Amino acid sequence: MAIVVTVTSGKGGVGKTTSSAAFAAGLAQAGHKTVVIDFDVGLRNLDLIMGVERRVVFDFVNVIQGEATLHQALIQDKRIENLSILAASQTKDKDALTEEGVETVIQELSEMGFEYIVCDSPAGIERGATMALHFADHAVIVTNPEVSSVRDSDRILGILQSKSKRAKEGGRVSEHLLITRYDPVRVENGEMLSHEDVCDILAVGLIGVIPESKAVLKASNTGVPVILDHESDAGVAYADAVARFLGESRPMKFLTPKKQGLLKRILGGSD
Amino acid sequence: MTLEWPAECGELTHWLKSQCARAPALMQEIGLVLKPSKGVAADAIAEAIQSMESLQIDLIGLTGDPAHRSIANQLGLPWLSAQNITQVAEPTSRSETSVSSEAASRSSLDPAMIVQGPIRSGVQIYARDRDLIVLGQVSEGAEIMADGHVHVYGRLRGRVAAGVSGRTDANIFCQQFDPELVSIAGLYVGSEQIPSEHRSAQIRVGLDSAGNALIYSVLS
Repeated sequence: MAIVVTVTSGKGGVGKTTSSAAFAAGLAQAGHKTVVIDFDVGLRNLDLIMGVERRVVFDFVNVIQGEATLHQALIQDKRIENLSILAASQTKDKDALTEEGVETVIQELSEMGFEYIVCDSPAGIERGATMALHFADHAVIVTNPEVSSVRDSDRILGILQSKSKRAKEGGRVSEHLLITRYDPVRVENGEMLSHEDVCDILAVGLIGVIPESKAVLKASNTGVPVILDHESDAGVAYADAVARFLGESRPMKFLTPKKQGLLKRILGGSD
Repeated sequence: MTLEWPAECGELTHWLKSQCARAPALMQEIGLVLKPSKGVAADAIAEAIQSMESLQIDLIGLTGDPAHRSIANQLGLPWLSAQNITQVAEPTSRSETSVSSEAASRSSLDPAMIVQGPIRSGVQIYARDRDLIVLGQVSEGAEIMADGHVHVYGRLRGRVAAGVSGRTDANIFCQQFDPELVSIAGLYVGSEQIPSEHRSAQIRVGLDSAGNALIYSVLS
């Protein structure tokens, strides 16, 4: 059976889709056959982040409603051999997702030999989000270091451990905390929660801290998962997070402000 | 109760000590009537009575062999005929029933509800007619309530209410106290009204005797 990893947050705009794309790409690069599914029906974005928007013919909802087969709807990534994408429908709404439908798709993907199914959850705690986390074995909780994001993450953790299939069967979904848009300078100035604060509030194991980086926006606009940008700090941080998810132990990076050269300090500007 | 000695209890001091260890409250409350067997010497009886006194056991009097009546008189103890004993024994048996009914009501008490934390934002827990014990933290935005006491073995950031259905003797015990709202028997205060010295403290919260203010006491 494939392992279902749901990337979720509660709050919108914290970097779920960026993280889903990076995670799926990272798992595939590590040699695992991986598919990433966009659960944000009606507001699909994953196809853009993955750079496959022109190749979407059939989508997740078409498959659930029996209008297309999985083989027709799956989009094979051109950069990473092991990676496939299942786009969301832009014309339907989230009521099109049914528990039986999602279960059948996950079952079929397992039979097709996928090892990891990464579910990109929409924001909120409504149907799309609950469907995305219902079959989760692991949950990656994406949180920005600010209080409203942390509170929403806490809420989604509560839903995860009460409404997911595993929880209902008396088990537990493994929780992993991923802090994104982290700015060590602002943390040092007391303008942003530190990663210790966030971990203390949420009481969840930390899997990675992704620094605020221009590389993320650039990656989104060009349709290349940021994890493939090995030069960027965000790319390196995602690669470390995926490695930790797969059981490796790596030290956390980018937690302290970069030392700036004298010239740069005088001339200003940032990286 | 009537104690046949030594037939029922063997060596008296030893037996009394073991009974006191098992049920100290009962032994303090109960009245004993000592019934020495035939032929027990006056000295031995005097010694037994002394050891009962030293254990603070209430001796009502002596009974049994009429030959011992004079010893009772010598020691200044009442002599109880068989008829008297039933009369005297009555309050004793009443105290026994009250103890056993207390034990019965204790066993019919609802055991505390034990919940493994963390209790997340948006989660509501209510322990009806019982105490609530939370193992772990309670997040901001969570609500925990009980008709009895509330214990939190962790950091309390959410809302907490004890004595929800009106028990003014309900308490809140907490390892790290940072709640959004605290309520006991319907009297509530918001987090801003909690004295700053009690924030993040290991604390017990109760209601004062008049029932119109919360009392904080720092634990440990």
